[in-house]
Amino acid sequence: MSYKLKSDQGVILADLLAGQVTLMADQLRYSLRIKSQDRTAFTKACGIDLPNKIGQTIIQNDRMVFCVGPDEYILIDNPNLRETLKQKFEQLADKFVFSTTDISHRNIGFKLSGKQAARMINIGCPLDLSLETFPVGKCTRSVFESAEILIFRNKEDEFQLETWRSFAPYMARYFEKFCLENESL
Amino acid sequence: MLLIRCPYCQEERPEIEFSYAGEAHIARPLNPDDLSDESWAEYLFIRSNRRGLHYERWLHAHGCAQFFNALRDTVSDKFETTYKIGEARPQVKK
Repeated sequence: MSYKLKSDQGVILADLLAGQVTLMADQLRYSLRIKSQDRTAFTKACGIDLPNKIGQTIIQNDRMVFCVGPDEYILIDNPNLRETLKQKFEQLADKFVFSTTDISHRNIGFKLSGKQAARMINIGCPLDLSLETFPVGKCTRSVFESAEILIFRNKEDEFQLETWRSFAPYMARYFEKFCLENESL
Repeated sequence: MLLIRCPYCQEERPEIEFSYAGEAHIARPLNPDDLSDESWAEYLFIRSNRRGLHYERWLHAHGCAQFFNALRDTVSDKFETTYKIGEARPQVKK
């Protein structure tokens, strides 16, 4: 196995076992809060589709919108669209009551793939990740060894984990330990 | 590990995602200025501390981040039911 440590914005991050745990590239991330009664009008005005149920995800090109609460969304997009989105939100500021917070630098994403991906999450998170209760396309906020995470199932054996940047080295070590202990899998 | 049903997520979720938030259905007095020190202190600090079925607030902190109410047995730790904030309290089955 091989992994290299690299430094990003003052935090050491581990890039473990290429292909199994990958640190995702820089993304544009927004935390978006809007009341459910304004949801459809907001979508019409700015073209960003918002899921209407907790746990649902909408994917359009590079854009992913996760619904994590009754009025709370996490929007992940291509970093090139930073200015475009900012302008869009500014134009809507006097039409709706909503809040957007740029959390691009607060969060970092892991991609876990392979047959052991669900097991790897389950070392620190007690959620039932079987396909019946956690189908492809579902997202939820949860905890991984006390660190808050957002789990999204991309594919049957691929997950995306979003966490705070400062928790990333801590979580990476858990993944590293899992890989060391299960080398034969 | 306990599984707690969140009425907003409509799912059974591990207890580690939740945090306890005190007794439920305690309304803040509308005019605190009119209260005596004793009744204000009673609102702030005095709780029923019930043995058995207890109405209480919980927060799905690492989930949908919503407060909800629950009816829990403080002896057996069993959750009888959970319901959204604003809904009437369910009757206790004897």
